[in-house]
Amino acid sequence: MSSDQGRRPGDPHSIAIWGAPGSGKTTFLAALNIALILKNGPWRIIGADPGSLDFLKEMTDKLTHQRRFPEATSTLSDYRWLLSRRPEEQVKGLLGRRKGSPAWRIGVNVLDAPGRSFGAERTGHGTDREALIDELALSRGIVYLFDPIRELTDGDAFSHLHGVLADLAGRMLAKDEFGDDMLPHYLAVCVTKFDEIKVLETAEKLGLLGYPEDVQESPRVDDEDAEELFRELCAASPSGNARLVLPTLNQFFHPERIKFFVTSSIGFYVDPEKGRFDPDDVQNLTPEASADGPQGPGSGNRIRIRGPVGPINVMEPMIWLGQRMAGEQQGKEAGG
Amino acid sequence: MTESGEDLLRRALTEAIAELAGSRRLVVVEVAAEGVTAFDLHRDEAGTSRGRERPMTRWAGQTAEGGGDGATPSPFEEGSEGATPAEGGRDGATAFPAEEAAVRATWLPVDARVVLVRSAPDGGPVGRAMEALRAARPDALALNGGGVPVAVLLREIVAAEPLRRPYDLVVLRRHPVTGRLRLACQPLFAMETRRGALSEVTVQCEPSDERGTVFAVVAWQDRRPVLVSVHAVKLPPGRYEVTAMLERPGRVRFSGLPSLTREDRSWTELVSSVPARLGPPSGPAHLICAVETTGPEVQLGERLRRVSQLVTELAGELSGLLQVSLVTYGAHSYDPRIPERPVDVVDWEVSPDDAQESLKILEESRAGRATGHGAAEPGYPYAAQVEDMLAEVAGRLGPPGGRRRTVLLTVGARPPHPPRRHASEILPCPRRVDWERQVRDLQRHPGLVFGAICDQPPERAHPAWARLGENASAHLDTLDPQGFCADLGVTAPGVQRVPFPLMAMP
Repeated sequence: MSSDQGRRPGDPHSIAIWGAPGSGKTTFLAALNIALILKNGPWRIIGADPGSLDFLKEMTDKLTHQRRFPEATSTLSDYRWLLSRRPEEQVKGLLGRRKGSPAWRIGVNVLDAPGRSFGAERTGHGTDREALIDELALSRGIVYLFDPIRELTDGDAFSHLHGVLADLAGRMLAKDEFGDDMLPHYLAVCVTKFDEIKVLETAEKLGLLGYPEDVQESPRVDDEDAEELFRELCAASPSGNARLVLPTLNQFFHPERIKFFVTSSIGFYVDPEKGRFDPDDVQNLTPEASADGPQGPGSGNRIRIRGPVGPINVMEPMIWLGQRMAGEQQGKEAGG
Repeated sequence: MTESGEDLLRRALTEAIAELAGSRRLVVVEVAAEGVTAFDLHRDEAGTSRGRERPMTRWAGQTAEGGGDGATPSPFEEGSEGATPAEGGRDGATAFPAEEAAVRATWLPVDARVVLVRSAPDGGPVGRAMEALRAARPDALALNGGGVPVAVLLREIVAAEPLRRPYDLVVLRRHPVTGRLRLACQPLFAMETRRGALSEVTVQCEPSDERGTVFAVVAWQDRRPVLVSVHAVKLPPGRYEVTAMLERPGRVRFSGLPSLTREDRSWTELVSSVPARLGPPSGPAHLICAVETTGPEVQLGERLRRVSQLVTELAGELSGLLQVSLVTYGAHSYDPRIPERPVDVVDWEVSPDDAQESLKILEESRAGRATGHGAAEPGYPYAAQVEDMLAEVAGRLGPPGGRRRTVLLTVGARPPHPPRRHASEILPCPRRVDWERQVRDLQRHPGLVFGAICDQPPERAHPAWARLGENASAHLDTLDPQGFCADLGVTAPGVQRVPFPLMAMP
């Protein structure tokens, strides 16, 4: 695993967080930091340089203290982070061999889709298309954020996805380096905004909700069921193009390297006084008053986070990718 | 003592008619010296036996002029409302051989009960026809006729039948507090009542249109009223003692009134011409004004001025009888930095003057607090504490029971919060108050009416505003105070035309 300061050209072990402009990549990263802190495990996210560290701290503070979403930024590509795992305590085994995990460090890069190329002027900023392809080509793990709420209104997930994957495949597969004409990445498809009523109720309607016995008792969708929810949400997209997303992914990635997750960066609302999830009151977003008189949902009021941030399934895709990539690397090293 | 042939026939036909129900039919075939006549009978939705007489099929060699029964009146032509006239009529009778006549007479529904009546000596065409009919319908009951023609006998039996359904007179009942009118029924005749029975009712007739007041009789079929008759008469307004006489099933005659004429308007037309309310009831009234305090200051000032106008209007109409309550409500807070401001009961049951003073203070204090034309009240922007306001009002009114006229006037724009997560994405009420349940609870108060003045036009307003303005609603910019109060039923709306009699109050 890499142990240097962020991404190096040719480093095969970075993870790219990728999604359409406005799909919540920056928030996802900040939520990842919060989730790792809450987990209190061996994993943490660190800045690869002082500027990236400050940016991460600022975003995390925004989400937790100010209870606002980080603004979209065009400078995401300037920052580098590392997903780091402390070495586990090493103990002697029965046969006197040493056990425990070595330290890991995986580069994490947050990539915007090339917004300008696709006319995504509403939120977020597009990065240069070539730079995006470069970044994806250098990574071996991709967190692909699928925003079902955005898909309902904008219906542009497929248009952001297909061109980039086609270019990436053209770049990487032209040399016949990988033998099977498939991209070598592991892909974590994250259905985001699980905390939104439309997503929650779709999962509820499909009978996919489970209630683990954790502190907040927020519902979850099992990773095994996440693909079903993804399909249903794609089918509900008014553009009709979202149904092309899954076949497109299957066209470029090995199916066994794709895993689906249902995630929420902020989680459901949990009343701090009660400390429990209430199925009758789940929304963790609240609009702020504006001077324009009576308005309703969707009318563009500024939004703030209502209660404590409790990320759902944000850490898990990263760790799954990290483990898969580490396993593959170890296999290569063992094979000489 | 043995029964005569006529008695036996009468009893058999009475029993057969009594068994008519639903879609069952009865066909009585009279084989007479001149030819064959069939009578179809069924029972209509109101429970009245109805029927028609088919044209006589004459024996070969007979003519219409030669037939003695040709002049016998049909029991279903005379005064039988809803009966179908005989097909072809007696004058259209044609001569046929006996067997053929019999066969023609048997074109009957297979499920109809058949009674064959021989009204002439056997032999010749009569005997052959009876034989053919018995062969065609072996299940038919065959009887000998007496001296009375079957048509006359049937008419007498039908007229003597007891009522199969109760008969009521359609009246209007006026709510003693709100003046609201609703259709109701005044019982006239119970089931099993027979012709000649009398029933007396006292009604109040209000001014009607040029066609008069409608006296409609309905029969009840499975809790559903079925019209029996609809007549109208032009009457001066006043109280009338009316005697209804059951002439026979299907016909009620009213005395104590000038001659009634058949009403041609459709029932839908008549019902839709009933005004929602009648007249201004007298007595004290309580006006509860609930004002939403969210939104721009200019909007709030306008709401307060509209409330002031209505207080003035009502106080003028109900001098000394009006009490006013003033309640304000705003937005819930879902931000711990912004304290929740509960519903504020500024006044409860005070005089109109005191309420006006409070409105003035409220407007001044709001104006003083305002930071400009577009100042926004902090708190949740997509809904307001409508549900909390309703709960507060319901709590103060207490359990239903009082008959004092009460008006809940809601003035605002925003929808209520739902009691739990909702597809609208409006956050649920922090106290989980259910606005619909509160409205239902308030509707149980017999004297309470709802009025709403909404900033939004109806097509843009949340459906809750239709409930809040159930009795009267207006847009903030186009309020007509006089008309609004008339809609609420607390002031006189002018001359009203009432198509049905009102149940007279004792």
